[in-house]
Amino acid sequence: MDQRHDEHVREPIRSPWVWVVMALIVLAGTPLYLPAGVVEPLVFGIPYWMVVSVFFTIAFAALTSWLCLRRWNLVEQREEAAAEAGDGGTSWEI
Amino acid sequence: MGNLSFGGTSGILVLVAYAVIMLVIGYFAGREQPGVRTSVRGYFLAGRGLGFVALFFTLYATQYSGNSVIGYAPEAYRSGFAWWQSVMFMIAVIAVYLVFAPRLYVIAKRESFVTPTDWIRHRFGSTRVSILVAILMLWGLANYLLEQLVAMGQGISGLTGNTVPYQIGVIAFVLVMLTYSWMGGMRAVALTDIMQGIALLIGVGVLLFGSLYLIEGDIGGLTQHVVATAPEKVGVPDMETSVNWLSMIVLIGFGAAVYPHAIQRVYAARSERTLKRSLAIMAWMPFLTTGVVFVVGIVGIKLFPGLSEASSEQLVGMMANEVAGINIFFYLLMILLFGGVIAAIVSTADSALLSLSSVISHDLYGRYINPRSSEQRQVLVGKLVGIAVIAVLLLIAWNPPTTLYNIFVLKFELIVQIAPAFILGLYWDRLRAGPVFWGMLAGALFAGVWTVMGEEELYGVPAGLLGLGINLAIAALGSVAMPRRHDAGETSAPAKAAAG
Repeated sequence: MDQRHDEHVREPIRSPWVWVVMALIVLAGTPLYLPAGVVEPLVFGIPYWMVVSVFFTIAFAALTSWLCLRRWNLVEQREEAAAEAGDGGTSWEI
Repeated sequence: MGNLSFGGTSGILVLVAYAVIMLVIGYFAGREQPGVRTSVRGYFLAGRGLGFVALFFTLYATQYSGNSVIGYAPEAYRSGFAWWQSVMFMIAVIAVYLVFAPRLYVIAKRESFVTPTDWIRHRFGSTRVSILVAILMLWGLANYLLEQLVAMGQGISGLTGNTVPYQIGVIAFVLVMLTYSWMGGMRAVALTDIMQGIALLIGVGVLLFGSLYLIEGDIGGLTQHVVATAPEKVGVPDMETSVNWLSMIVLIGFGAAVYPHAIQRVYAARSERTLKRSLAIMAWMPFLTTGVVFVVGIVGIKLFPGLSEASSEQLVGMMANEVAGINIFFYLLMILLFGGVIAAIVSTADSALLSLSSVISHDLYGRYINPRSSEQRQVLVGKLVGIAVIAVLLLIAWNPPTTLYNIFVLKFELIVQIAPAFILGLYWDRLRAGPVFWGMLAGALFAGVWTVMGEEELYGVPAGLLGLGINLAIAALGSVAMPRRHDAGETSAPAKAAAG
């Protein structure tokens, strides 16, 4: 996985801005900054702070999932090539 | 768990059916797999051949145990909306995987690692660090396993209306688990996880369906009811609860991701592609599992107001009872629920047991006690030790501790202390064995003593997280204070990893 020779090589840890955004999303999803005890206004019958938290929780999952699929590629091409060449994997894979 | 109003016969039938399916899967998993008895990688890592479906379900069924249903619903009942944190901290586990799994997967495959300790030994070349990591992992795994055994007994006696007593239920399912694990190792565990994971998803789904049926689907009315009767459970949590919420995201995120059986699933992935696709879906699973259980717990506030802490532990049983009483359709659905809960417990217990066996047989027996032993002998020792450990834990399980959730937190207090060595060691050349050892020891002692002494949390921050801070500070500052080394020894691993 020599990065100089393969521009497709990606590792989540090497995108610092993503982790900053993730930390902000987690903080936004935790009601640290809201006044304690307040329930209203209700949105669709649910307290506003809960709606805010659910929104950022969805964003947290979406970002995590996106990181897996779009920011992680260390040896995939090599493994796929090896598998096609017939020396990777086992016969019983599900 | 409360007893269902229906008789035990149908419950017993479901449990017997589940047991038979698990045994059949275990038999075929062992029969078709080369090297399952003669190779540690074959037995403990399924020959590094887990494909997408098996890997996803084994990650899922292992991460979510029966406690995620029967322990978390009462937690939502008691804490109210603040228990939404359970969805966030379960996503955090996957986020933390992304910090280390991509690189660790590549190194583990290249170096043929079997246990998490293999990475620690490779990185630090230190016996004392390796042994301390192994001890902390064994502690965490044993505690985790104990919790599953306790939950298994309660679940089985609840499902069968005490027709099957607590002890008999546990022993029967432990025998089933040991048998299929013995026959097929990790592959049997992963393949049974497919069936167990589906059973859990169905179980949680029918519990939600039944709960919503009982309140006629009126979520808005539910909130209004809780606002009127228990406003403290609906309002913005106080600062200490919010700090605790954030702390749990960090503690469980790091703690659960570095659990040995979690790391071994990274090792067992057939390819990077299967691993990242599985984790991408896992990031969404908290909504379908702890998120659903959260709603069920909130529904419980309306249906069963004013339960004490001890009574609220029976919440899922009480709700299932209520739902099963509606008609025969719901009665059958609730049988599926309890079958799902039992399957979830077994699927978590088998993974923890297999991992525990691997640490003892590979890291302790094969490394220090009998270094010349063959792999076949190590596999056999692992199997036998697993049986012995289960026997000891069963004796402890006869006297189950207080609430399930308290045990859950206790194990993370210690297991999370291995995170700096694991994760920082991947990326920071200067991290050294000495400071890592003392940091880990200090963090574990601090967290353990604080918890055992029964001290209160500091402004909502659990002792495990405080210990982790101490641990990290000692490891990092100690490493910075030591002179740089330029030899090819312990400092070369991250650079080598990056070079592929």
